[in-house]
Amino acid sequence: MKNKPIVVVISVIVLLLIVSIVPENPLYNINWAVFSALFISLAMLAFFWRFERKGINSKEVTLIATLASLAAISRVPFAVIMSLQPTTFMVMITGYVFGPQTGFLVGAVAALVSNFFIGQGPWTPWQMFCWGMCGVAAALLAKKYKGFKLTPFAILGGVCGYLFGWIMNIWHWVGFVYPLTWKTFLATYAASFPFDTLHALGNVVFSIVFGKSFYQVLLRFRKKITPTVLITKIVTGTHKQ
Amino acid sequence: MLVYREKDNLIHKLHPFTLIFYIGIVFLLSLVFNHPIYLLGLFLAVGAVIIAGGHFSEWKVYLKFSVTMIIIIMVINAIFVQAGDTVLLVGPRVPVLGKIVITLEALAFGAGMGIRLLVMISIFCLYTYAVHPDKALKLFSRLGNKSVLVITLSTRLFPLMVRDFQRITEVQRCRGVKLDTGRWWERAKNLLPVISVLLLSCLERSLQLAESMHARGYGSGSRSYYSRELWRPRDYLILSALIIGLISGLWAALKGWSTYSYYPRLTLFNPGELKTAVIVVITLAVPAILNWGWKKWPLLRSKI
Repeated sequence: MKNKPIVVVISVIVLLLIVSIVPENPLYNINWAVFSALFISLAMLAFFWRFERKGINSKEVTLIATLASLAAISRVPFAVIMSLQPTTFMVMITGYVFGPQTGFLVGAVAALVSNFFIGQGPWTPWQMFCWGMCGVAAALLAKKYKGFKLTPFAILGGVCGYLFGWIMNIWHWVGFVYPLTWKTFLATYAASFPFDTLHALGNVVFSIVFGKSFYQVLLRFRKKITPTVLITKIVTGTHKQ
Repeated sequence: MLVYREKDNLIHKLHPFTLIFYIGIVFLLSLVFNHPIYLLGLFLAVGAVIIAGGHFSEWKVYLKFSVTMIIIIMVINAIFVQAGDTVLLVGPRVPVLGKIVITLEALAFGAGMGIRLLVMISIFCLYTYAVHPDKALKLFSRLGNKSVLVITLSTRLFPLMVRDFQRITEVQRCRGVKLDTGRWWERAKNLLPVISVLLLSCLERSLQLAESMHARGYGSGSRSYYSRELWRPRDYLILSALIIGLISGLWAALKGWSTYSYYPRLTLFNPGELKTAVIVVITLAVPAILNWGWKKWPLLRSKI
């Protein structure tokens, strides 16, 4: 089954959530900062697990490593302005061209690797997850359109900018804010609004400036490395006949 | 770029799994425990190991940083939490919060959480300075060698690409493209081709890398690996001590000995409930004790 990892992980998460609301057991009312990080890690595990189950392809491995490294680098000069990061755009365009699996891995590895140089911390899994999901979202958009359509891509970039901030806010909220009430929740989100807007605007601008040319470069590269995949398809096809 | 430094002591000569297991167990116990004495015990044990590892000066920096955080936690907790019977101070009425009442219990709770934070910060400190990142990644490579390969490759390509970027900008400068002077908008515009070239060259490199890996037989069969990390008696000694510590810690948690109710009124510690704390501290301090013996007696050093 192709999606076994995802099914397994979702059922484990649901089970843990149910256990956490049943009183009188060790997991009841557990530290939420840790519990939510556990969920995020499990969700990422599903993607990495799927990646491991696929056959070994050296071109895929190096492609993910290089693009992740490029995305990570693009983060460093902008680290001063917290939320203006071309990384999101890089991850999205990768997902758009190469599909959800590659998109997710590039996003997650970019976050991890850039944090080796900027600073590792409890926020790492959250950033890995958020950037990975940006890649997946762009890949899903690519399924709807043929070729590169700037308007939907730029709009998705804006949406991803906000969503990224909103998911990161959850970790900020459960980790540092006490008590966990609606009031503090809304206050956290209101406080992050300007940063998220900057991030979204940045994504839109990067999409307009680089979108078309990056798409063409990556597409040509995809064509260049695809033959191996095509041959395996033919071979497996003849086996079936 | 890495902050890890090799040092000549037992902590640095452990199998990476032992050290990561130690860190994981202390992290878990620090979440499970709620009793200030138990948490203090954890802190002492971790502190002993950090000092044994020769990282006292780095640890001091971490501690200074966390003390300010603890003070913030205690102040916020004292102001926002109104529970507790022993009222120390009744403050003025504040619009949103209502009347500020500072109780002894809320302060004590803040202090307890502060000790927990200290334990966690110390654990992060131990991980950063005593575990080599490559060795830690290698441990996971048996579980997912493709993912680990992607991460290590990407980490290695990072500095290479920084150099690429500098090379391309230098070439552009030689051609008379202004990257440092001129208006902000012009400079950004001149940077665009540099970024496109960087993308192209890095894709080219990825293809070369793939071909080179392919030529060396990557993926041609089941993966072989060699492990230079030895399992020595010291690892078994420490691991068995850790397991005893973990079991007694969880036992104390199940019995309710390691939980302490701060509210509504602070109570006296029950000495009977603290016996397991002693066991936990001693078992978790085993690496530090062994390190002491390792330095003192060459015979022990040769045996473990």
